[in-house]
Amino acid sequence: MDVFQSTSAAAPGVLTLTLKGRLDADGTDKVAGLLAGYIDRGERRLVLDLSAVDYVSSVGLRALMLAAKRLVPLGGRIVLCGPQAQVRQLLDIAGFTSMFSIAANRDEAAERML
Amino acid sequence: MSSVSGLFANQRTELERVVEFAERFGEEHQLPAEVVMTIHLVLDEVVANVINYGYDDTAEHQIRVTLTVDGSELGIRVEDDGRAFDPLQAPPPDLNLPLEERPVGGLGIHIVRSVMDAVEYQRQGDRNVLIMTKTIGRN
Repeated sequence: MDVFQSTSAAAPGVLTLTLKGRLDADGTDKVAGLLAGYIDRGERRLVLDLSAVDYVSSVGLRALMLAAKRLVPLGGRIVLCGPQAQVRQLLDIAGFTSMFSIAANRDEAAERML
Repeated sequence: MSSVSGLFANQRTELERVVEFAERFGEEHQLPAEVVMTIHLVLDEVVANVINYGYDDTAEHQIRVTLTVDGSELGIRVEDDGRAFDPLQAPPPDLNLPLEERPVGGLGIHIVRSVMDAVEYQRQGDRNVLIMTKTIGRN
């Protein structure tokens, strides 16, 4: 699992994390640590670009939920974007579509942050 | 009917071998990619649960995974000799709860029950046996 961070002048205050690979137990360890670090240092508006994530298991879903549970009471939010079909199916099964904003792409995700 | 069985130790490092086992089975039976993904996901969830929660000792245990294809029916069977535990007794997560009230647990078995057509638990002697089936399309 690789994680790339980026910001854009078009969406100030929003940190975009592009995840690449599998959100299985090992991949999630890495992402969960990074997410905690970002939240610790004050990031409140996170876009998680999932377009290059080809697998997610309950471990990954739990980590996303924990990050959101931490962030939302702090006034923050997480928007997920671009999930692949099989990942989208699991987000639906887990009921994440009601808990998370899921955008088709980054532009839409940035709009949801406004 | 074609059946393949593998034994895996109760260590997290074995999960990668479980994935390879699933992928090999998929190749040998020319299963569609989404079916291999289903097997991967189900085994990931079930075997990880056994490894993480199934044992009270520090000894090495063996987990038996059996994959079966019979016509258009896929079978996944996981057997372990851990403490008696029926994962189907856990209540399904309430998907209508708002984020702050949603408990974090229970997703793994919920996913397994959602992606497989049937999931059955049996206690056979000193073994937990989870039997899962799904009707699949073939290539």
